[in-house]
Amino acid sequence: MGRPCDVMTVCLARLIRDGETVFHGVSSHMPMVATLLAKATHAPNAVHLNIPGGVDPHKPRLVSYTSAGDDLLETAEAAFPLQEVFDLSMRGGLDVAFLSGVQFDRLGSVNASVIGDYPRPKVRLPGGAGSAVLIPTAKRAIIWRTKHDRRTFCEKVDFVTARGHVSDIVTPLCAFTMYGGELILKTIHPGVSIEEIAENTAFPIRYLTLEQTPPPTDEELRALDHIDPLHTRNLEFR
Amino acid sequence: MNKRCDLDQAVRGIPDGALLGLGGNTLNRAPMAAVMEMARQKKRGLRLVKTAGGMDVDLLCYAGCVASVDAGFISYETEYSLCQHYRKAVQDGRVRANEHACYTVISALRAASFGIPFMPVRGLQISDLAAVNDYFQPVTDPFSGETLNAVKALRPDVSVIHAQLADERGNALIEGPKYDDVLLSRASRTVIVTAERIVGEEAFAASAQKADIPHFLVSAVVHVPRGASPGACAGLYGVADANLREFLGLGTPEELESWLARRVSHGQAL
Repeated sequence: MGRPCDVMTVCLARLIRDGETVFHGVSSHMPMVATLLAKATHAPNAVHLNIPGGVDPHKPRLVSYTSAGDDLLETAEAAFPLQEVFDLSMRGGLDVAFLSGVQFDRLGSVNASVIGDYPRPKVRLPGGAGSAVLIPTAKRAIIWRTKHDRRTFCEKVDFVTARGHVSDIVTPLCAFTMYGGELILKTIHPGVSIEEIAENTAFPIRYLTLEQTPPPTDEELRALDHIDPLHTRNLEFR
Repeated sequence: MNKRCDLDQAVRGIPDGALLGLGGNTLNRAPMAAVMEMARQKKRGLRLVKTAGGMDVDLLCYAGCVASVDAGFISYETEYSLCQHYRKAVQDGRVRANEHACYTVISALRAASFGIPFMPVRGLQISDLAAVNDYFQPVTDPFSGETLNAVKALRPDVSVIHAQLADERGNALIEGPKYDDVLLSRASRTVIVTAERIVGEEAFAASAQKADIPHFLVSAVVHVPRGASPGACAGLYGVADANLREFLGLGTPEELESWLARRVSHGQAL
């Protein structure tokens, strides 16, 4: 069945198509490893963009305290800093942006800002980072979230940090996709039941066809160990 | 002109209430020694500007130095969790969180560096951020009639940037990722540079590698080895895990003061 972090990372990596421009930001170890995995397997021509500005870093030495560290630039082929990644998205040139948040609803709204009122919140969250400009301008925003419960996948988000081109959401239980303006179930991870997903999701679960997420292959697992020997992709589960 | 001074003196030049730009990104090359000295000097009412902040913003909120934070993201990254002092200060109403998308901080700084009052940006089409914050306003393209969002310029009174190399006149070179620091230096009224190493007057003139920040934008230069610690500094050191965890374990204002006293003494990083 595989560990949730491996299933999720592989699931994210498979969403990247060969030749696409792909960006991840801070606190984003899982999508960082997923991008490196996609390039090592089915998408060698995907373009890896990041905050330090390293284009296509070669075997960066991943560290646990940041996904925006100097190795991403030091081992890269060209420099293309954050400001220019945003500019690229604004002019329609960014294919995939990986983002997260703490609440999501069936319309694909993302909340990474506050629980409660904005000026005097019950909980001040870290903020959406690039979400509010990237989710509407990147061709596809792919969301990962390592918590899947009814507070996270809620009926209505407290605050819309962004909405727009969310295409997929990957959790420890399943992968959702946007279909006709609505979040629907795409695949169920190995060992998970649809009842478990429904119990942990506050909006109705709908789907077109019900399939299992193919478990990580031996090739993918070998590549993961090579790319991420310290298992930084598992940080959010520790 | 020789602008070299000690940390105490440089930080004294930052007035209470200043709009203050901070260099680096999260735990990477943030000007931590200068930040600790601001806390030691009990600065008040600082209005911080940064795309993505971490311990710098958290520590200044803990020390009661902050009135507002304009940023896209404030948190330690995954391993060290959330900025609890910042969160609490915002939740208690002591600090105002002006949430941006990181790009809108960049746009606000670009506007300042271009000498114009705002910058139009795409994005924010469907976001409550545009509705609740007065620094975002709809603007119409006079040529096509398209509606975009205007982001109000942010012109920091001063920015503090930690660099690997600087000379005494203020020329500064950032090795590794520059994040938004070069833009910050252009957008700000003045810049304080703290540097790992001070090089001779002729060093940049004789080298193929030129300074990123030219001397005429800089008002003070401070020699601070390990000036980004407990955060990381590209090419030199990573995060000082034990020190950072010690900070995260502090609770009261007194604990912070004694922690600070062991790290900065009259402007000298210990």
